[in-house]
Amino acid sequence: MRRRTHAVPLLLAALLLLAACGGGGRAAGPAAPTGPPQRGGEITVLENASFAGGWPTGLDPATNTTGGANIAQMSAIYGGLFRLQAADDGSGAQVVPHQAEGYELLDGGTTVRIKVRDGIRFTDGTPFDAEAVAFNFRRAVDSPCTCSPTWPLAENGITTDGPRTVVLRFTRPFAAVINAFPATNVNWIASPTAVQQMGEEQFALKPVAAGPFKVVSNQLSSQLVLERNPEYFKEGLPYLDRLTFQSIGGDQPAYQALLAGQAQAYEGLNTTPLLDQAQEAGRITVTVQPPTSPYVVQLNTQRAPFDDQRAREAIYHATDFSAISQGLFRGRYPVSQSFTGPGGLFHHETVAGYPAHDPARARQLVAELGGLTVRLGTLKGYVAEQVMTALQTQWQEAGITVQIESYELSTLIQEFRSGEWDSMLQTAGAWDPAAGVGVAFRFSSSSPFTGVKDPELDTMLNTAAATLDPAEREKLYVDAGRYISEHAYAPFGLAFAPANLATEGVYGPGLTTKIPPIVVNTGVLWDEVWRAPR
Amino acid sequence: MTAVAVRPRWSPPPNLRLVGRRLLMVVPIILGVSILTFWVLDLIPGNAAQQLLGPEATPEQLRALELELGLDRPAVLRYLDWLGGAVTGDLGTSLVNGQSVTGLIAERMAVTAELVALAFVVSLGLAVPVALLAAYRPNRLFDRVSMLVSITGLSVANYVLALLLVLLFAVELTLFPAIGFVPLSQGVAANLHSLALPAAAIAFPLFCFYTRFLRGDLVDQLQGEDYITTARAKGIGPWQVLLRHAFRNSAFGLITVVGLNLGTLLGGTVIVEQIFALPGMGQLMLQAINTRDATVVQGCVVVFAVVAVLANLAADLLYAVLDPRIRYGSR
Repeated sequence: MRRRTHAVPLLLAALLLLAACGGGGRAAGPAAPTGPPQRGGEITVLENASFAGGWPTGLDPATNTTGGANIAQMSAIYGGLFRLQAADDGSGAQVVPHQAEGYELLDGGTTVRIKVRDGIRFTDGTPFDAEAVAFNFRRAVDSPCTCSPTWPLAENGITTDGPRTVVLRFTRPFAAVINAFPATNVNWIASPTAVQQMGEEQFALKPVAAGPFKVVSNQLSSQLVLERNPEYFKEGLPYLDRLTFQSIGGDQPAYQALLAGQAQAYEGLNTTPLLDQAQEAGRITVTVQPPTSPYVVQLNTQRAPFDDQRAREAIYHATDFSAISQGLFRGRYPVSQSFTGPGGLFHHETVAGYPAHDPARARQLVAELGGLTVRLGTLKGYVAEQVMTALQTQWQEAGITVQIESYELSTLIQEFRSGEWDSMLQTAGAWDPAAGVGVAFRFSSSSPFTGVKDPELDTMLNTAAATLDPAEREKLYVDAGRYISEHAYAPFGLAFAPANLATEGVYGPGLTTKIPPIVVNTGVLWDEVWRAPR
Repeated sequence: MTAVAVRPRWSPPPNLRLVGRRLLMVVPIILGVSILTFWVLDLIPGNAAQQLLGPEATPEQLRALELELGLDRPAVLRYLDWLGGAVTGDLGTSLVNGQSVTGLIAERMAVTAELVALAFVVSLGLAVPVALLAAYRPNRLFDRVSMLVSITGLSVANYVLALLLVLLFAVELTLFPAIGFVPLSQGVAANLHSLALPAAAIAFPLFCFYTRFLRGDLVDQLQGEDYITTARAKGIGPWQVLLRHAFRNSAFGLITVVGLNLGTLLGGTVIVEQIFALPGMGQLMLQAINTRDATVVQGCVVVFAVVAVLANLAADLLYAVLDPRIRYGSR
């Protein structure tokens, strides 16, 4: 009788063991596709509720505020004038015309002519022409979204030249204009007729576009059901009949839902232990994307203690990102000394004269300063918080007193706006350093998210963004990287990119092959995603 | 002298008076809850305008949107505006997407209500017989096992349990779906199938709590009360003593606990709905908090508060149903 009472603890122990194993143990990974892409079928894609799984303001590119996070949904509905493509291993990434047929940069980069592909129609039957694109551009530049473009537009700078050509005129050259498209709301073209007929509020719920999929139903920040657009301009595409985006409360439930077969893909996994588990379990394809955005410790040079270069140098010398990358992440994330990762444009792993890890020198500087006390913050997130804790330990070993804090996005914004912060661990960079949350976002004097006010650096960054010749741009960015390092403005760290997961039999560019993230998540090419028949 | 017939003044039955009085009490409670919620939301850093405009917004853009949303006005005035609408049943519009808060809540409430009802039915349906069996022979094998399960269940957090349930019943055994909700309109079986694991994740800790509570109360009654001794002296069998005497008395405590639980339970659905991707009130509220959508948060909290207060009232009324000697309001 007594022996039987052990049954419950044993059962619980077995359950916990099962949880620890996470359904793993299978050694073989999913097989590569054995044939050409197949047409038909449907998949459910999970998106983390706290980022891409939230679209509270709807899906109209001109009125939504989270478009930068919702690139997946927007691309599936709208397609895009341009998109980022890469070889299967993520190399050779480039922005190529999609619904646009081509473009020209004229007048030294102050005029851009974009030619729209012929014959495309929105799903309401109206033409996808230059007027429609211009209408969308005008709406998009006034959008409240962070995904709104930062074009230096001249007065009346958006016009058309014939039925297929849109002309943009800038006050100064802007070489990164096309590279920035896939991350900005100007890339997503809505049907002007539908916007006007439905009204903005209704349109945001059930947008009409010319992308690979049409909206069937949309429950804000919960579930978006799409079906194939039979009039899609690419013959034979999309492969899938139906695509559903489902919001879910984090990496762990998403992983379990994939294992349970309730969904077939998950975008943006960043809980590293789960990533290891998924890779070892072998039931799911795990695609870690080539990172574009390295972490950077922003130092607020506008106030003490980091208005003193010695304090900033102490941080550089106290910091060892290589040890963090190896120790915490098994070297999965490469360390970069500048503002793009290996997947980004103009990446250079090292910067000449970069202050090396030297705890003794850091301690010496701290002693010179009579002690150094700093607050270090970051946005809540698995990798960021792990790195922040490791930095605290390293800095404390160098005699620096460190107080760490994780922030919600809105609190983080408040901190930046108040200017009363010491140091922040953030990601810096985008695929093109001049686009999105690029180098200017973290280092330009005009950005509210910079710790630097340096006109010389501003000039360097503006010139690099304006220069058309890629070789010349690269040289200018190398100079900017060296300048940041010489002034010890902000030590750069490991370049992190989230992973995409797909269950067996689901394939697609960005999902099971690599594409560098244009901003945070990878721009999956949904029209080319397919599912092998079971 | 002519006798004047005095017609007795009608007075409502005591229980009706109780309902009336308690319904009147709802007003200050809800008022208090709404003021507190509004005040707390106002204290939290950031507002809907900041969330909408994002980190790259200029101070001018921010000011313009704050003006448009009325966020530049003093909190008291904004609250009074909201209250003016709320008393007419209009809980305002979402600051984030302009949708009617009443509509949003109505759309989501059905999911949460069903989830909570299912959790209650399952937890109580299991807890009562288990507690009775455990109390029938205290400290024997069944009692000890049930207490061990109860203690374990009470020490496991909701979200951990939810993940364990998914792992076991969705991933390994593939008996139930890990995520998603099938509405009742698509069939009762499919609906219950989709809610099985989330309801279990909520019901299990409740079951443990109710079992422990009821079993303890029953044992106390059986071991220490004179009326039990009297009943036994009359030769009433042990099961009858347990069911007709001890359980009847213990049910009062259980009803109180169940009534009080509802508020906590609604809070618990927030995490569970998030894990199981259920489009309920919990998910709505979490999204609203993340986007600083004050009117939606306010609407959700008020609805939760009303439900909790009404549940307590229902529990009080059940006392009278169970024991006709109880006459609320009689002097």
